[in-house]
Amino acid sequence: MTATDRRPRDRTDRPAPAPRTGLGARLGDLAMGVRFAVTGGREGWARTLLTALGVGLGVTLLLAAASVPHLLQSREDRGRARTPADAAQTVHRADNTLLTATADTVFRGDTVHGTLLHPDGARPPAPPGVRDVPGPGEMVVSPALRELLASPQGKLLRDRLDDRITGTIGDAGLVGPGELTYYAGSDTLTTEAGAHRVASFGARSEAEPLDPVLFVLLLVACVVLLTPVALFIATAVRFGGERRDRRLAALRLIGADARTTRWIAAGEALFGAVCGLVAGAGLFLLGRQFIGAVTVWEVNAFPADLTPVPALAALIAVAVPLAAVAVTLFALRGVTIEPLGVVRNAVTRRRRMWWRLPLPVAGLGILLLAGEFQQQDEAAPPFMIASGTVLVLLGIALLLPWAVEASAARLRGGPVPWQLATRRLQLSSGGAARAVSGITVAVAGAIALQMVFAAIQGDFMKITGQDGRRAQLNLSLPTADVSTTRQMISDFRKTEGVRAIIAGIEADAARPGPRRTGEPFVPRTQFTVGDCPSLREMARIGSCRDGDVFVVHDSTGMVDDAYIGQTARPGKQVIFNLDSRTDEPDGPPRLWTVPKTARTVDSRKDPAGETRFGIFATPAAVDTGLLAAPVARAMVRTDPRVPDAAEYVRNTAARIDPLMSVDTLQNLQRDKNYASVRTGLLIASAATMALIAASMLVSMVEQLRERRRLLSVLVAFGTRRATLGWSVLWQTALPVGLGLALAVAGGSGLGVALLRLVGKSDPDWSVLWPPVATGAGLVLLVTLVSLPPLWRMMRPDGLRTE
Amino acid sequence: MTPEGSILSGEGLHKHYGRTPALDGADFSIHPGEVVAVLGPSGSGKSTLLHCLAGIVRPDSGSVRYDGRELTTLPDAERSALRRRDFGFVFQFGQLVPELTCLENVALPLRLNGAKRKAAEATAREWLARLEVDDVHGKRPGEISGGQGQRVAVARALAGHPRVLFADEPTGALDSLNGERVMTLLADAARDTHAAVVLVTHESRVAAYSDREVTVRDGRVKEPLAGL
Repeated sequence: MTATDRRPRDRTDRPAPAPRTGLGARLGDLAMGVRFAVTGGREGWARTLLTALGVGLGVTLLLAAASVPHLLQSREDRGRARTPADAAQTVHRADNTLLTATADTVFRGDTVHGTLLHPDGARPPAPPGVRDVPGPGEMVVSPALRELLASPQGKLLRDRLDDRITGTIGDAGLVGPGELTYYAGSDTLTTEAGAHRVASFGARSEAEPLDPVLFVLLLVACVVLLTPVALFIATAVRFGGERRDRRLAALRLIGADARTTRWIAAGEALFGAVCGLVAGAGLFLLGRQFIGAVTVWEVNAFPADLTPVPALAALIAVAVPLAAVAVTLFALRGVTIEPLGVVRNAVTRRRRMWWRLPLPVAGLGILLLAGEFQQQDEAAPPFMIASGTVLVLLGIALLLPWAVEASAARLRGGPVPWQLATRRLQLSSGGAARAVSGITVAVAGAIALQMVFAAIQGDFMKITGQDGRRAQLNLSLPTADVSTTRQMISDFRKTEGVRAIIAGIEADAARPGPRRTGEPFVPRTQFTVGDCPSLREMARIGSCRDGDVFVVHDSTGMVDDAYIGQTARPGKQVIFNLDSRTDEPDGPPRLWTVPKTARTVDSRKDPAGETRFGIFATPAAVDTGLLAAPVARAMVRTDPRVPDAAEYVRNTAARIDPLMSVDTLQNLQRDKNYASVRTGLLIASAATMALIAASMLVSMVEQLRERRRLLSVLVAFGTRRATLGWSVLWQTALPVGLGLALAVAGGSGLGVALLRLVGKSDPDWSVLWPPVATGAGLVLLVTLVSLPPLWRMMRPDGLRTE
Repeated sequence: MTPEGSILSGEGLHKHYGRTPALDGADFSIHPGEVVAVLGPSGSGKSTLLHCLAGIVRPDSGSVRYDGRELTTLPDAERSALRRRDFGFVFQFGQLVPELTCLENVALPLRLNGAKRKAAEATAREWLARLEVDDVHGKRPGEISGGQGQRVAVARALAGHPRVLFADEPTGALDSLNGERVMTLLADAARDTHAAVVLVTHESRVAAYSDREVTVRDGRVKEPLAGL
């Protein structure tokens, strides 16, 4: 028998291989899908590229979000490391101690962190990032400050910080690379002037606990910002699905069963997702190199700060490919891939609302059950808040396809672009709904967050009582004798851009003589010396000439007016140097008589929001040499026509005393944590919105790519560009319109539930509009940006088949 | 030189796609009411010739004249308007808008030309009846057979009463029975409306419906010798 003779019998005798089942078979199918994606030619790679781009964008954002804890911790750690240790405790002067004092300043709205250092001996401790403590007249600066000082824009600041630069602060001494920081040497610092003696740097202080309301906001913000990212990733792995399904039909023809084709499709999506994971990691690593160059609301970081928490990074690495497989299998459950084609179009399976609605309802229920808490010490239930919010937002995303389908089914007639768009949505609204689900969730979340922000901002805003219209800057003049103080005030008055100085020299004045029966102490009050315009800012003095004296009563009722009356008695004497502990004069009595002509007037709040009272005297009325321990206060009214007026004032202040603080007067002051949360949210919202815009664009291009041939045919028979452009706009705008309506309803519901959670009940409905307007603007932008690819795909190339 | 009495002619047409020549000095002309079959093997340049003649693509050089007007120098908007008004198209596949019903598909060119929806759909319904597919008017392309789809496409191409109908492998995706029925209906309808038909095909069976045949080979058009 020859080999040839044997062959047919062998084939007949060999048992048919058993169909593969179980995990091994599924893994084999996945592997085949990966191979198809790799070897699928230009078409396969184009699909993989789109998926990878979409997933990559999402992964980049997820990795960035996963890096936030490390970023915050790193900044916090470096901030603490440079804070003087034991500042609150007494450190004895030694060879290894130094005196430090904060000398922060502001330059054109940016804070310049400054510290003065005065070594006590030969071995002073150096702050982190500083090799040698600078000597008097020297300073070490951060790279950003060095650059600013060297630039023409920094000339004004250079006048203020005119010490010789002897070094650069290393990364270890900076919270961020863009930080403006300096350490300057000093030989005049004293503890009396406010300096602290320290033996080392590195504070052990605990971080301030976050207000529970802010915690809720942070938690909700994380959910709101990351849910669209997750939705986008789920959308991206379905790019090019229709073409892929047609290819899968060919596999059915050669014997693959339905389950195998689904797993092969999942394999293709898996490959795209893995590519996206790699692309996202690459984008993230590339992007973080430039993070130092970005400063948003005074926040920036070193590239190394942007390191994902390992557990979160691992979760992303595992969850994204798994999600790709799961989403593909889920998406294909409604598609029948037959050997002769895909019958999705022929089968119209209507979407049902009944299983979608319970999700947001359950979410709202959980949030309402979470109760109400307002107290600082009350812990917010994080799991309930997060799960409730996630359920509401996911519920909105799930309701959207149903809403789009149900609404599109009712649309009739209209011009050709409208008809093309509505019919497209009627035939297949899933893709369009998926494309806008991200923006719907983001807008719903933004509405909810804005409602909470609007409701609670009053709790986190302090009305300072300051009046920024009457004066713009408040100076803390150092304690000095009256003539030196007058010289300082004169220096400020001569400074460029200064329109007026509101200044007063203050001291104590008491009634002479012993304590009387029933008096707990000798009556005393404030004594203020200032020129008429300055006094006019502190009391309702009316007409005034140099030499006038006023008895000023407190009009707010905050001060026991009796003491003013018992001390400031026209025609009677006051004593300036009465020791409050002994009721005896501190040296020869320094007496002064309140003129009989002194007028009694009411006080008024000064521009810094403080109330002055007691005896007001103009300079000619009193010998200021009599005053004991006088303290000067000054406020500056600047000329709005001189844009750098504040900088000139700060330069003058720095010349007088580097420790003098110059504060801007502002009517409202925001809580620091509240401001941080809001700032963080703004940064993250910007990133999410950018991702959503990118995702919508990629989805749109993908949809157009799928319809390339049809577009070419439409062009062949003369369809105007505008017709197709409008149809694209409607096709996006309709789902977005419905999405925004859903977002308003869902976001308001979520907002009301969250408000209840933080103990508020009065929603501000005006906050609905900005997110809605942003969403609508985004649609317009995406449509505009997608027009060039649309024009490109309308070229007749699509008609070529060879 | 424009051949005497022709409604559409191309002369010395050259077209390259990258380095690949598709047309290499092709000449063509067609008279009103005439059905001309353009034959040739795959990749010979038949479809490119059709696209150039229809003003869908601009040739690299050469002239295309329609009704006395030079098409190659017309701006895109005017060529589009011309295609809407005067030309009709039937392609091999993928030509019907999947989301529109068959009736809306047929009415689409009329509506693009400014017709009111009801009037356009009334005309479309007549043409669907004429092409024997009025029973599918409410269905979408995905719900009908390939033969029905091609008849709907022919109805759409003729509904606007074009002066020139361009048919690129109109029966390429159909079985012979369906193909012949589509060709019969197409040729009859075109002759009834006095439309010239440029029929690109590689099947001599389909070409048999034409009044005249030309062959495209290596980007050049060759007329069969007289008497053969």
